[in-house]
Amino acid sequence: MLLRFVTRRLAVAIIQLIGISLFVFFMIRILPADPVARLVGLNATKEAYDLAAHNLGLDQPWGQQLLNYLGIYSNRPGDGVLQGDLGDSWVTSAPILEELLRFLPITLEFITYALLIAFLIAVPMAMAAATKPGKTADRVTFVWGLFAGAQPEFWWGLMFVFFFFFQFHEWGFPSAPAPLGRLNPMVSEPHTVTGFILIDSLIAGNFRAFLDGAHHLMLPVFTLVFVVSGAIIKMLRQNMIRVLQSDYILYARSAGLPPRQVGFYAMRAAMAPAMTLVGIFYGFLLGGAVPIELIYSLGGIGEYSIRSILAFDYPAIQGTVLIIAMVSLLIYLVIDILHAAIDPRVTF
Amino acid sequence: MTTTPGPQVAATAVASGAVVIPKRRRIDIWRKYKEEKLFAFGCTMVAIMLVLALCEILHVELGLPTRITPYDPNFATGNVSVPPPPLADWPGLLVDTIFNGAKPPHWFGTDNSGLDVFSRTIAAPRTDMTIALVAALTSMLIGTFVGLICGFYRNVATEVVMRISDLLQSFPVFITAMVLVALSGRQVWNIVLALAIVYAPIFVRLTRAEVMSQSVRGYVEAARAVGNPEWKVAFRHVLPNSLIPSLIQVSSTIGFAILLTSGLSFVGAGVRPPTPEWGLMISLGAPQIILGEWWQSIFPGVAISLTVFSFAAVGHGLEEDYG
Repeated sequence: MLLRFVTRRLAVAIIQLIGISLFVFFMIRILPADPVARLVGLNATKEAYDLAAHNLGLDQPWGQQLLNYLGIYSNRPGDGVLQGDLGDSWVTSAPILEELLRFLPITLEFITYALLIAFLIAVPMAMAAATKPGKTADRVTFVWGLFAGAQPEFWWGLMFVFFFFFQFHEWGFPSAPAPLGRLNPMVSEPHTVTGFILIDSLIAGNFRAFLDGAHHLMLPVFTLVFVVSGAIIKMLRQNMIRVLQSDYILYARSAGLPPRQVGFYAMRAAMAPAMTLVGIFYGFLLGGAVPIELIYSLGGIGEYSIRSILAFDYPAIQGTVLIIAMVSLLIYLVIDILHAAIDPRVTF
Repeated sequence: MTTTPGPQVAATAVASGAVVIPKRRRIDIWRKYKEEKLFAFGCTMVAIMLVLALCEILHVELGLPTRITPYDPNFATGNVSVPPPPLADWPGLLVDTIFNGAKPPHWFGTDNSGLDVFSRTIAAPRTDMTIALVAALTSMLIGTFVGLICGFYRNVATEVVMRISDLLQSFPVFITAMVLVALSGRQVWNIVLALAIVYAPIFVRLTRAEVMSQSVRGYVEAARAVGNPEWKVAFRHVLPNSLIPSLIQVSSTIGFAILLTSGLSFVGAGVRPPTPEWGLMISLGAPQIILGEWWQSIFPGVAISLTVFSFAAVGHGLEEDYG
């Protein structure tokens, strides 16, 4: 059953990925940007311009460019997407896949911690709110849900830097590190295995790097938790209220189960849709955490994407969107499987 | 020969009580405004921002003397990086400015090129509100139209349109917006267009679902039975009844559009400096913040935060009553 579900979903995902790639491919070419002029400069001679266009393959019709990108009937050296090669960046000349695999874990790491923490905070808060509607806890979570969902996360990031780095420093408290990357330059970086700095430093047994990495991750993760938790709490609270009114909870209550256990049953059912929301956040934040990455100079996939977009680096843009879409589709799939594991009403 | 039931038949059915016509839902905003603090706060803030935007637009576009900013938001004063006056001095300064004709102080300080932060903060709604309002309304217009067609006429063509809309929705929003804006030139109208494209699929989905549930109702069949052409059934009868979900959604979409607009400017893919725009102001003040010059970034952020929260509050209030 599970296998059939997964294969069907993967098949749909592949079709979606093809659609997304085609869409991005033509979108960036329809828009009136001139990547060649961006590379050679405005004062370049006609010959230099044409040569650059030829080297990038932009002098060919779109259909041929697409074939070159895909890697079928290609008239240029090098593989295409179908052979697993996303091409080279026009700016750094490095293989895009390699660059993306270096930057993706950085973003994945801090998003994962943030969503995990946000979820762990949200569950007890929503539970307190839903079991005693109208009381203080309920009102606080309600306003928080409305408020936090409407906040410019980049501004809060800056405020946290100002307060926890600058102001704490002024006051002589132990302060947050300067928002300049993932590690203090004095700390040796652990050998890359997963790309997650906390996990890598544990594998390497480098405890100093672990502490320093956690210290640097503190503020970015806190910023994200601050912004994301509101929506998750709001959704969990709504679900809890709905579930608590359902027949099987009434049955559980009338059977004389202790309130704690009833609450646990309700939470299990209310959690499943909220996990879908977490999955959507994952997909959104992979490309949407750009401002936070910029503030803390984390150098993740968001920073990579904005850099390639502003440089009109077509292959890098295509590659970034494709990889982000792929990862988010995979995460949706995992969440759906977890969903079925938690909620007995859902079957594949 | 059989006759189709005409208006008379329908009228008799209503009169005899065989058909119950639901009461018209009155949208009583005023009552809600008086009774609910959160909704009232949201409406007031939105109104203030609209007035600020309108004043600045009338001044810039038509040259009317409606500018209310104490300094020109695009013109540097000679005073660079002036901190705002301490709060305790504000009443005295206010009296001096209004009654004694003193030069207005820099209420929110000036940034490191000498632009008055207060003037820019209250001039920024011109950019932010215009972009967000026009973008959200455009995407609603496109979305409801496409959603109506796709929900009303169910065939291969509309199915393909739906798949494309789904595909658009599965895109990473922020990246799509960055690509659309950066590659089409960072002009205000390109941002509007980009946001409209990014947000349209939500409205397509909402309207289509509502249209599909409305299409099977009795009044649609009645409208057909009395001989209305199909397009008239769709636009005159189904459309007005399918608008409510979109109208509720539009308020929070305006809020999100403000967040996205300022986020784009913050990462350098939005409007160009020195346009007064909240996100851009925060971004220009960002390097100064680790030096302790907090005032350049804090005030525009508060403005974004309040405005988006207000739109969310209005949206929530409407959703509660009419959702």
